[in-house]
Amino acid sequence: MREFRYERPSTVAEAIRAVAHDPEADFLAGGTTEVDLMKDGVFHPDLLVDITRLPLRGVRRNGTMLQVGALTTMEELAADRTLMERAPFVVEALLRGASVQLRNMATIGGNLLQRTRCRYFRDPAVPACNKREPGSGCEAVNSVARMHAILGASPACIALHASDMAVPLSALDAVVHIQSEEGERLVPLTQFYLMPGETPDRENVLRHGELITAVDIPLPPEGTRSIYLKIRDRASYEFALTSAAVAVVMDGPVIKEARVAMGGVGTIPWRGFEAEEVLREAPATPDTFRSAADGMIRDPFIVPGTAFKVELAKRTLIRALTEVTS
Amino acid sequence: MTTIQQPRILGAGVDRVDGPLKVTGQARYPNDFNLPGMAYAAVVRSTIPSGRIRRIDTTAAVKSPGVLEVITHENADHLGEAPATFIKNPQPPLQDDQIRFYGQYVAVVVADTQQNATAAARLIDVEYDNHEAILDPHDPRAERIKDPWGEDTAWGDVRTALKRAPVMIDQTYTTSENTNNPLGLFTTLASWDGDTLTLHDSNQWPNMIQQVVAAMFGVPRDAVRVLTPFVGGGFGAGLRCWSHIPLAVMAARHVGRPVKLELTRPEMFTGLGHRTSSINWIRLGATRDGRLTAIEHESLTTLPLDGDEYEPCSSVSASAYASPSVTTRDQQVRLNIPWTNFMRAPGDAQGNFALESAIDELAWEVGLDPLEIRLLNYAEVDPKTGRPWSSNALRQCLEVGARRFGWSNRNPEIGSMRDGHELVGYGVAGVSFFWYQQPCSAKVIVRSDGSAYIRSAVTDIGTGTYTIMSQLAAGLLGLEVSQVEMQLGDSSMPVGTAAGGSGLTAALGSAVHDGCGRLIQKFVDLAGTDPFSPLAGVPFEDVEVSEGRLFRKGEPTRGESLARILAVHGLTELSADGSSTPNTPEQMGMTPAGARGARFVEVRVDEDLGRVRVARIVTVNDGGRILNEKLARSQILGGTVGGVGMALFEDTVTDKDTGRIANATFGDYLIPVNADIPDVHVEFVGEPDAFNPIGVKGVGEIGLVGVAAAIANGIFHATGRRMRSLPITMDAVME
Repeated sequence: MREFRYERPSTVAEAIRAVAHDPEADFLAGGTTEVDLMKDGVFHPDLLVDITRLPLRGVRRNGTMLQVGALTTMEELAADRTLMERAPFVVEALLRGASVQLRNMATIGGNLLQRTRCRYFRDPAVPACNKREPGSGCEAVNSVARMHAILGASPACIALHASDMAVPLSALDAVVHIQSEEGERLVPLTQFYLMPGETPDRENVLRHGELITAVDIPLPPEGTRSIYLKIRDRASYEFALTSAAVAVVMDGPVIKEARVAMGGVGTIPWRGFEAEEVLREAPATPDTFRSAADGMIRDPFIVPGTAFKVELAKRTLIRALTEVTS
Repeated sequence: MTTIQQPRILGAGVDRVDGPLKVTGQARYPNDFNLPGMAYAAVVRSTIPSGRIRRIDTTAAVKSPGVLEVITHENADHLGEAPATFIKNPQPPLQDDQIRFYGQYVAVVVADTQQNATAAARLIDVEYDNHEAILDPHDPRAERIKDPWGEDTAWGDVRTALKRAPVMIDQTYTTSENTNNPLGLFTTLASWDGDTLTLHDSNQWPNMIQQVVAAMFGVPRDAVRVLTPFVGGGFGAGLRCWSHIPLAVMAARHVGRPVKLELTRPEMFTGLGHRTSSINWIRLGATRDGRLTAIEHESLTTLPLDGDEYEPCSSVSASAYASPSVTTRDQQVRLNIPWTNFMRAPGDAQGNFALESAIDELAWEVGLDPLEIRLLNYAEVDPKTGRPWSSNALRQCLEVGARRFGWSNRNPEIGSMRDGHELVGYGVAGVSFFWYQQPCSAKVIVRSDGSAYIRSAVTDIGTGTYTIMSQLAAGLLGLEVSQVEMQLGDSSMPVGTAAGGSGLTAALGSAVHDGCGRLIQKFVDLAGTDPFSPLAGVPFEDVEVSEGRLFRKGEPTRGESLARILAVHGLTELSADGSSTPNTPEQMGMTPAGARGARFVEVRVDEDLGRVRVARIVTVNDGGRILNEKLARSQILGGTVGGVGMALFEDTVTDKDTGRIANATFGDYLIPVNADIPDVHVEFVGEPDAFNPIGVKGVGEIGLVGVAAAIANGIFHATGRRMRSLPITMDAVME
């Protein structure tokens, strides 16, 4: 078999040091993506540093913020009462992802780092994948793409970011705590992910040896209504074709404040700043929603298999807005 | 005397006799077996669809830890030709450098552990000379085979009838490739002892595997023993001797140890065949009041370069409805693709979708209720020969189903029924399933304690063969089910046929029936030789059997038990060989009818998003005599789930340039999850069939058929949009 080393340090500092000093090392948390990729021959670490026993688990309320330890599982976070009351769309997104078995293993930090489901990335027998082999090309763009991105995509890569949870977290301006040997830095989730551009292998701002230790979720004001609408080919245990995370504060028929992000469409969780502009102080009408949807899906990059997603995404957002404002 | 004496034992929902073994993990499936000194194999598959191997470098693999052997076409044993068994089997692997499809085996690695074998397999470096591949069924260079099975039909004058028909439907319907995906990973554990070979193997027909492997390896058939007492599903995937089987056998011979080869899920997509895609052209001619005057059905399905396949899509249209003129034509096209193969209701599943969609279109065209048009054109006799059916309760299926479903509540107007965002649609489809039966044999034995055991080489693929045959034999021998022991899944037992084509119950059941009759005859004869026996002088015809006793009809006290007869004669057991060969329609003066069925489906369609939800299903089937209603219901339920999968999800996607199957995992190839399946009401109607002595018609496949058409027809009722291509995904339904 292909050998690799395994370590399980007892402190965060040790774990970070172990990975930082070995360029072929990586952290192991729930392993729900990582181990699959190793079995499939896509990912070959020499050293896995198991962080699952580190004290990075649990949810703490800190004023108007929920601080979520990076090793909190998806199921644990989904059971948080404050989150359920104040931002139920995050809970909905968590519970519409994966299966109970996976959610009991998968961690919040790991969820943010989950790799794309692109069939061409995940099969090493496919020679061309810029994400797997930088510079090798993109097979997906010429092939049968359905579960692929239309926003942020380019001929170099159309791989989709598959996380559900990251969609409402982007809408809420969650902040990622990143620890390294140099210390801690905080990065807003909306700036955490990188567009593929010419380097689809680089998916986020993490540098080697940096560890996500926590995610801060700012709680929206009381009275905020939110929804996570996930559209998929089958009813459960399937990734989104399109999804919309919307939070609004209403004043009668007028939208005072809106947060919008979409999944299933982007190479990264897609925050809808323009859509939010359209919605703010606007009446909750079909015209407003259509304008917001048009603002959401700007300059899509489509291939034959993904063309339908442009209209589906708009209708998904319109449906979510209709439901959350009514 | 060969009538069933204890009808109470039949039909009842007797629990699976193998249920306790299965739920306690004691039922051993092929991959559960391990042998001392066993080695593990991993395969290497081609990554091009057409060409030849220019160079295959195994240096690194050979040196890899734990590796015992690497076999490629350069050092493979020369194997004998694989005989055809009903249909062709793949010719032995690794015999030349030619590549015919993406995923073809090019090497096998044997190592001390599975991990070492898998890791070493990845180190094998293959260079290819690429040839241009033919992957598109419309490619004019592809070889086409017309009327592949000599089953094209024509009667009446379709051309003129179509020309003169006041109403005509002329449409094309397509279905996608589907993959069988039994849950159990197919496994072969091969163990040589001198020149004899034992195989623990996942398949649906142990005697077929035995015959093919024996021919390839040049040993007598008796030298090969195939054991398949349990298998983790098949859905048709186990009806050929696939190439991984001789690979495991060859590997075991090379290393002189038992070798286990368990396929991975992605390997299951290329190594066991798949349901062919189909294109169906249908033209219907009809009068203004909806009476059919012509049916023309042509189909095009796919074949691998060197295989065959039986997918009579158009035949569906030759037996379903009464029409004075009918033409059906099937055609196949050879491509550089992995083998196409039987998958639950081959041909029927696709052809029925086309025909039942077209009939629905005709109903709308003439303004007739879709249920009425099916009853109006009901085929009272076999429309092809004019012979009566051996049984046919299709009309009852439709009528009973309509009542259970509440079809009369349907508002015929399109889009007239709505619930919030969702449009509600009702769809119906009828099913006339084909008939299939092959010769089969079984041995029936009664032991000194009066209990029976029955042996046949067939396997139970999870459908319940162990159970229903125990019930049947108990009924025939006058025993309790618990007194009958079934032994199946061993090629050394009496020769059995395939667990496929919905034909095993009739084939094996008829053999068991024959064997039980012969055995009772032997008991009667034996008793007759004993002057003190109360049965002395009683003719066979006058003997009945109940509670383990033979007695004279109408004189229950005049008799003796089977156990006593054995004891009196100093015997430990008495046995009889039973066999069955299906009669011909000519002999019987009737057309054997397969199962019949009707599907009623309520769909909900989200108007904006195109999302389709199946809200409820009523499925009524005529399976002749139902031996065990509980197990038959399970077959229909499983088939229904498969039908929903075919309708809405399942689609084996091939990359158009490389021929690689792009979604060969359960993450990417969608099958329904529980949340996709609504309440399913299952009901059986009909009478025992006249074509075989036990009156059964198989129900293993029919449950799947018709579901897709009923769903598509429901979507039309809800939205006015006609879905002529499977699977129906939301991008097609969205306006």
